Amino acid sequence: MTTTASARERAATTAPARKRAGARWREARPGLLLVLPAFALFVLFRFGPAIAGGVLSFTDYTIGGETEWTGLANFDRLVHDDRFWDALRVTVIYSVLAVPGSIIVALGMAMLVRRTFRGVRLFRSIFFLPVVTSLVLAGVIFSWIFSEDGPWSSLLRAVGFEGGSWLADSVLVLPALVVVSIWTRFGYGMLIILARLQDIPRELEEAAHVDGAGSWQTFRHIILPQLKPALFFLGVLETTVAFQAFDTIWVMTGGGPARASRTLVIELYEQGFRNFDQDYAATIGVALFVMTLVVALIQRLIMGRDK
Amino acid sequence: MQLRKAVSAVAVATLTALLAACGGGGDSGDDKATVTMWIYPVVVDETQHRAYWSQTVDAFKAQNPNIDVKVEIFPWANRDEALTTAIAGNKGPDVVYLIPDQIPKYATAIEPMDSHLDAAAKSDYLDNVVKSVTMDNKLMGAPILTSALSLLCNKKVFAAVGQTAYPKTWDDVKAMAPAFKAKGYDMISYDGDLKTTLNVTFYPLLWQAGGDVFAADGKSVAFDQAPGVQALTFLKDMVDGGYINKGPITTTPPIEQSRLAQNKVACSWSVTPADLTKFWGKDNIQVLPPLTNAKQVTYGTVGSLVMLKGSKNKTAAAKWVNFATSAANVKTYDTASGFFSPIKSTGALYANDPVLAEAEKNTQYATVGPLQVKSRDVMGALAPEIQAALLGQKSPEQALKDAAKAANAMLG
Repeated sequence: MTTTASARERAATTAPARKRAGARWREARPGLLLVLPAFALFVLFRFGPAIAGGVLSFTDYTIGGETEWTGLANFDRLVHDDRFWDALRVTVIYSVLAVPGSIIVALGMAMLVRRTFRGVRLFRSIFFLPVVTSLVLAGVIFSWIFSEDGPWSSLLRAVGFEGGSWLADSVLVLPALVVVSIWTRFGYGMLIILARLQDIPRELEEAAHVDGAGSWQTFRHIILPQLKPALFFLGVLETTVAFQAFDTIWVMTGGGPARASRTLVIELYEQGFRNFDQDYAATIGVALFVMTLVVALIQRLIMGRDK
Repeated sequence: MQLRKAVSAVAVATLTALLAACGGGGDSGDDKATVTMWIYPVVVDETQHRAYWSQTVDAFKAQNPNIDVKVEIFPWANRDEALTTAIAGNKGPDVVYLIPDQIPKYATAIEPMDSHLDAAAKSDYLDNVVKSVTMDNKLMGAPILTSALSLLCNKKVFAAVGQTAYPKTWDDVKAMAPAFKAKGYDMISYDGDLKTTLNVTFYPLLWQAGGDVFAADGKSVAFDQAPGVQALTFLKDMVDGGYINKGPITTTPPIEQSRLAQNKVACSWSVTPADLTKFWGKDNIQVLPPLTNAKQVTYGTVGSLVMLKGSKNKTAAAKWVNFATSAANVKTYDTASGFFSPIKSTGALYANDPVLAEAEKNTQYATVGPLQVKSRDVMGALAPEIQAALLGQKSPEQALKDAAKAANAMLG
């Protein structure tokens, strides 16, 4: 009896549920169809090539010649390749400096332009300008700035330090490139943080001030916790960008001096388009993808734990 | 509801159009053939370059009405990326302009020209030109031009220093350098930027020292032997002495921002007269034979029209290549571009141009460099080590030894 009753109840609840699902599908269909062209383009030009690159890493490919399946041979070569490990070391050092650097500068600038005063919109636009500047152009300009006779070297000499080109110094080249990276990226981060800052109720800060909290304490205990989602988002994004750094470094140093700024993507490019070793370049690409994914997952885990 | 239908119809139509576009077109099915050729700005003036090919195609079409020729002029930058991607996607051209530095890497995709070129045309090529486009006894392209790097010195700078003789040997360069430095000039320029090919920077010195990049059997490198060390030591002494500007060792500035363009450098072997005319003035360019040490030698290139294996119109493409590289067309093209002829019967091209006439004589000293599948890979291993030596991080011996170790591992 109980069984029959519950079956009836299920039937009674399932029929409207089906109707609702059908209605939802009809509602969603135009939207899905509108999304379809963009999705098709994404599959064709993003997902497809990525899969093809993955497949290529398991082959021995010659231009215009035969492609032979070689299994894990390219990955075996990768783990025994000193140049790969050297490029990975450079990429990690660069990322460790560039990611926090750009987030800290973005945070500072967002706090500065958060206030409303005459001309603040102009300042916000100016600070965002580097994001829309061509990276190649930025590379050319900063090459001059950090050159032997450039303004940075002249400034150092004027204040009593040793001048010289930072791009010709194996130790200073990465900090110089990190400065360029921060300059080109902070505007985007500033915008993300600013959007979040404007959502934080002013009452919270006012209450903290009433309770005797200073500016630093308010920032540390009220504002910063509210910014965590935005900061973690930027962390993932900036890490991905830093791992894929290429344009400005290629223009400014070509990976030099003496491989001191040869990142993984520069190594990939050299293997693929200078040495024409495209299957091996694809293998480096797969390794880069896996590493970026792992870093993103770790960041995601930390974010989840914090929640 | 009507709006939804309309939206759905637009979406479906868009997708259909997209898929149709991606599907590409098929053959026309008639007897006509189309030949596509990719070339680069060999003639710097784009209008003049396009006009040349337009006239040449018209002349060819008059003789071959069933063959259409499409000449596409691409920028020099990223040309290998575009070409490899096109070949991989089976969308490559029928004919493409390549230099010997590229030929070994594309060898598997190249249709040898031996059976496609006229016998008379083949026998009219200069011997060193034929050698420079031959791999495994197969002629890999039809040469259309040659070049040779001369030693170019700035007459204005020499006059300012009061130096009346020009350098002929490495010893001359070393002896003259302090006088130029004292007046604020660099003796020579050197681009150590990792993006610059060693063919125009270090290799001429290596060859002049009597060395070579690869051992005779091609199974190992030879640049780490005594001539290589001598060449790198010469260069390092020039840097350490302050006779070469250090900046371009790591980053090559745009030429207009370089000391070369600012008339602050006495001589260079890495540029052409055309690069300098705007900055030095043609009358101030002194064209000299390459420097001598153990040997007198320089780098030169041979530009060829190469047929790709993927061509679906090989007969038509061969007709076009034969026409485009005929002596008459080569003469017109090379004169327009400032290059030299690879063909014996054209003779010297620049009797009335004092600068180019001198430069043309230096083709006798030119070599195209190693025709080795791994030559670019080896360059990638050697260039950073040269940088390390010039920046004082390693001795020339150690730098070349480290580079040889990495390079031999690639050849192994």
